[in-house]
Amino acid sequence: MEGNIEELKGAIALIGYGLGAVGPGIGIGIVVGNAITAMARQPEMAGTIRATMFLGAALTEALALIGFVLFFIA
Amino acid sequence: MDGLILAAQERHCDVVNEVICAPADVKDWFEFLDPWFTIGPVNFTRISFLMLLAAAVSVALLYFGLRRNRPVPTKFEAAIQSLVEFVRDGIARDIIGPEGAKYVPYLLSIFMLILVGNLFEVTPLINFPITSRMALPIFLSLVTYFIFVIVGFSKNGIHYLTDVAWPKAVPIGLRWLVGLIEVVSTFLLRPITLAIRLFANLVAGHLMLTLLLGSGVTFVLAVGDIGPKAGIGVVWFAVGMIFFAFEIFVAILQAYIFTLLSAVYIQASVHPQH
Repeated sequence: MEGNIEELKGAIALIGYGLGAVGPGIGIGIVVGNAITAMARQPEMAGTIRATMFLGAALTEALALIGFVLFFIA
Repeated sequence: MDGLILAAQERHCDVVNEVICAPADVKDWFEFLDPWFTIGPVNFTRISFLMLLAAAVSVALLYFGLRRNRPVPTKFEAAIQSLVEFVRDGIARDIIGPEGAKYVPYLLSIFMLILVGNLFEVTPLINFPITSRMALPIFLSLVTYFIFVIVGFSKNGIHYLTDVAWPKAVPIGLRWLVGLIEVVSTFLLRPITLAIRLFANLVAGHLMLTLLLGSGVTFVLAVGDIGPKAGIGVVWFAVGMIFFAFEIFVAILQAYIFTLLSAVYIQASVHPQH
């Protein structure tokens, strides 16, 4: 019984991480896609856009990583 | 990695039936190791040694790279100088503005320490990123936190707090809600996410490398027991080597992002309106 509950907790944590990764996945896609569009339109701004893109991707990614950490804590 | 293989064998990793060998309890990897020696309340472990080594390496790199100001620098000196220029111009001056010059020493220190610490992950014979222990990321992010809070209060006085909690640009009906979200995200979530971003990236990379390379070696070594099935170990190892190259990229990128976000947070305190 104990072992079953332990396994179930692990499985639920895994599902939670999967759900937590959906939003940031979409978000990073939007960030990077728009950055590519911007760089294609104005190649001379590529350096600034790239720095801002990493910034936005990092801020979005944090949510997925919190899910990853919670997976281990759970 | 030897430790992982030993652990997998001790726990009777079932190479006959399982395609990938996970350790019985991943939490073992987050425990403290046996200390080498103890001075009072301080336990000195391999990780403590690696942290001191990373600090020494980053100081040595900067010292030997910038010691002489030659008209024609050697390749090594040119590389270190371009790193320093990258932090000074690409991060401090671009993000913070003219006041950024004051923060270049701090940003350069954390950049070098995190870079060297991250690259320990892919250094042969060390293979351990010191930033994958929460102690270092949380310490560095708290230093950044205190710097941007103190700078915010000393530059703007109490207006720093009121501008965050009571934003004038927002319509009055929503102002309390936006202010609440801003206060929580600025003073509570920023240091936590800053630390967790670095920590979790490196833990994930380290875990993936150890699992792939470790189960690759475990399977290949078990060739006597399982015969041709051991070939899957070669595949695991090959995938592990691809991730090895990817982790070099992640290590550099995470050092850059930590420094960049520190600069952005400091900038938000220097000019709170923007």
